Amino acid sequence: MFGVVFRFLLLTPLLLRAQAPPQLPPGGLAQLQVAQPAVDVTTPVTATAAFDPPVVSAGEKTFYRVTVDATESSIQWPDEIAAPPGLKFGPDARGQLTQFLGDKFRPLTSFIYEVRATTTGHFTITNFTVDVYGKPVEIPAAGLDVVAENPNSQPARQLVLETSATNVFLGEPFHVSVMLPAGTNNAIEALREIQINGDGLMTDKTASRQSIEAVNVYGQLKPAFVCEMVVTPIAVGPLKFSAQGFTAGREFTAPITIRGQVTIPGGPAKYVLLVSDTVGINVRPLPVEGELPGFTGAIGTFFCDPPQLSTNRLRVGEPAHLKIVFHGKGDLMRLTPPEPPRSAEWQIIADNPPDTGYTLIPLTDEARATPAIPFSYFDPATAKYVDLTIPPLPVTVIGEGLPVQLPAMDDESDSGAPLKLSGLAAVPGKTAGSLKPLQLRGWFVGVQLAPVIGFVALWRWDRRRRFLGAHPEIVRRRQARRALRREKNKLQKAVADGDAEAFVRHAAEAMRIAIAPRDAANPRALVCADVLAQLGSADQNNRAGETVRKIFSAADAQFAAAPQTGGDLLALNSEVETVLQELEAKL
Amino acid sequence: MKRRGFIFGWSTGLRPGVLAKAGSAPGRRPALLLAVLVCAATACQAATNDFFAQGVELSRAGQFPEAAAAFEKSARVRPAAGTLVNLGIAEWRRGHAGAAILAWEQARWIDPFDPRAGADLEFARQAAQLDAPQLKWFETASTWLPPNAWAWLAGASLWLAVGLMTLPGILRRRKAGWQQALAALAFGIFLFCITANLGVVSRTQIGFVLKKNAALLLTPTGEAEVVSTLNAGEPARRLRTRGNYFFIRTAFASGWVSREQFGLVCPEQPDTGAATPVQVDNLQTRPL
Repeated sequence: MFGVVFRFLLLTPLLLRAQAPPQLPPGGLAQLQVAQPAVDVTTPVTATAAFDPPVVSAGEKTFYRVTVDATESSIQWPDEIAAPPGLKFGPDARGQLTQFLGDKFRPLTSFIYEVRATTTGHFTITNFTVDVYGKPVEIPAAGLDVVAENPNSQPARQLVLETSATNVFLGEPFHVSVMLPAGTNNAIEALREIQINGDGLMTDKTASRQSIEAVNVYGQLKPAFVCEMVVTPIAVGPLKFSAQGFTAGREFTAPITIRGQVTIPGGPAKYVLLVSDTVGINVRPLPVEGELPGFTGAIGTFFCDPPQLSTNRLRVGEPAHLKIVFHGKGDLMRLTPPEPPRSAEWQIIADNPPDTGYTLIPLTDEARATPAIPFSYFDPATAKYVDLTIPPLPVTVIGEGLPVQLPAMDDESDSGAPLKLSGLAAVPGKTAGSLKPLQLRGWFVGVQLAPVIGFVALWRWDRRRRFLGAHPEIVRRRQARRALRREKNKLQKAVADGDAEAFVRHAAEAMRIAIAPRDAANPRALVCADVLAQLGSADQNNRAGETVRKIFSAADAQFAAAPQTGGDLLALNSEVETVLQELEAKL
Repeated sequence: MKRRGFIFGWSTGLRPGVLAKAGSAPGRRPALLLAVLVCAATACQAATNDFFAQGVELSRAGQFPEAAAAFEKSARVRPAAGTLVNLGIAEWRRGHAGAAILAWEQARWIDPFDPRAGADLEFARQAAQLDAPQLKWFETASTWLPPNAWAWLAGASLWLAVGLMTLPGILRRRKAGWQQALAALAFGIFLFCITANLGVVSRTQIGFVLKKNAALLLTPTGEAEVVSTLNAGEPARRLRTRGNYFFIRTAFASGWVSREQFGLVCPEQPDTGAATPVQVDNLQTRPL
């Protein structure tokens, strides 16, 4: 069986064939190629030169225009043109277009100089030679008549340049209108190759709009070809710029809006390079103070719709789209959306321009909201930055699921391992004060010293106990002092209550207690004589001795010499205290 | 005894009016202090139980992030083996293998005899293809009892031995044979406890990688070169700390790792360090 299969596999390559290329019909490849007209650079180059207009009055502006049917880069144009005295050359411009001549393209280059004559007369710029395509081409002579008075004066035809603002901030787009007023017979011509000449400006030709409408040109309402463009200053300070363009007859190169009645001449276009007067604007730098986070250069007045998240409940790694729509008066086409912020919880991918959304991918289920995307713009009207931060949106991110059950394994070595996650514990179970073990706590060391203190205390107690056993008088005195203190309290209480009988009893008892330790006797066995014996010989016969006798006589009626009233005995309180103090001092 | 009975009755919520009476008399201040302490402990226990019950309820509702937050709050107030087991389950169910393993290890730290924590750890390591931390012999011995038990046992055995050897002399009594035998036994237990306590202290440096694909860095800086990436739940030992970084050694490599990506079984701060703090004060359960 194996041999049959092996032989079949050996013969399998014979059944294989190479993949055949797709077969095209004859001429199919040629049909894929689109024939493009060639650019004519072989025809002998011709050049023209003329003043426009050829007759002006002194000080009036005219244009010296040279046209060469060659590419601009191939013409070695001199930096200066030899001009007769009396002609003053002003700003110059140059431009190139490609004219379509049926079966071929032919380049056309124009050089134009603004010229003013200071005096009357006939001025001629002689012919001169320039190198074109490496060959000399003669520029013909051109003559200008300057007269004192020109009754049929026709001003030089030129473009009109208007700006929507003359005092702008750096980067603030503004509109520029390049207008070609109608010529003779109100004939409207289109413009081609319109460009803005000047440093520090960036022209957005993609946002141009062409129309034919009646405009106010030098105080006169007349139809004109209008091309609106958006220009952005990229340098600060005063800027000057002008516009240029070729007249192009009825060759409209873009959709055009026509308002009112206009006359559009027929026939082939006549390409004439026209320029405008210079216009000046002042460009201010953006203020550094008050710049807010997320400023990407947006200048204007913008608004933002509430951001919309495709879903507010997603899993880790699952993308969600945050849709953000901006509105406003500024240039929305050139609005740079805010940079996605760095976040440890989200991967943020900005949409491709001109879209302004974001794709958000949660990296962890700890994310509770989409990240705030800081954004701000500069409002030129208030000259302040305005915060337009995209707020965070609450989301619920579900973590990646981990298995809670494992498939049963046949391997005996794994049979002991649990196959399921355990259930929830119903009670907290065994608790601990802290996860930090006792071994690392300072107070535990202190607790371990407690037994040492106990041992020392035990030793001291035993030692004291033995000492007191050897000196019982110390114990007796201590007990006598304690008992005397109690009797004194009772004595004072009896005085306060006016109880003479109790006063006498406690006074006598206190005196017995005070003298008992000295004789190691039971206080109840002592009598007045024992107390008197403890008093000094002088005290026995003075007031102290008498007080003792009165107290004991009152306490024991058999020794009473004469009955005393309760008030008399209570009056002995101060003398009793004196006696007790004396006896206690000897205790 | 009667007074003590009153106070304990009040502390358990039976007689709230007795406290003023108990504290009004002189000499009852210790009892009053004890009552306040018991009340505080009871209130703390009640709060812990509230969070625990909330976490159980949220887990049953399938809201595992919120449940993990509730269990973490409960464990932060009072670490408990059951709470940490449930915290690990919630973390595992929400996909945090590292935090789950750390929580179960902490549960076993508190109660080495908890069967659920051990089983869940074994299950998780089999599911995630992770190794258990490699313990030295004295560290293994330290796992036989809770860490605090070793501390108390060491202290008790030491002082029992010292007491049996010194007290007869102090009390001027003859040393009995059984006293000397018991002292020798206690001293032997103390010596063994010393090694176990060393194991406990050594195990406090063991931790687990919390985040998936955590970067092991060459230097403790934010722009450091990544030496390797670590799996969530991978065990490692902390060797030293610098700023916001731990220098750790795993079974295969050494390097610095951010504090947020590495959780110690015995955290330096009094929290579990297992989950992200989430506001749980006003959690509401949501039906599935």
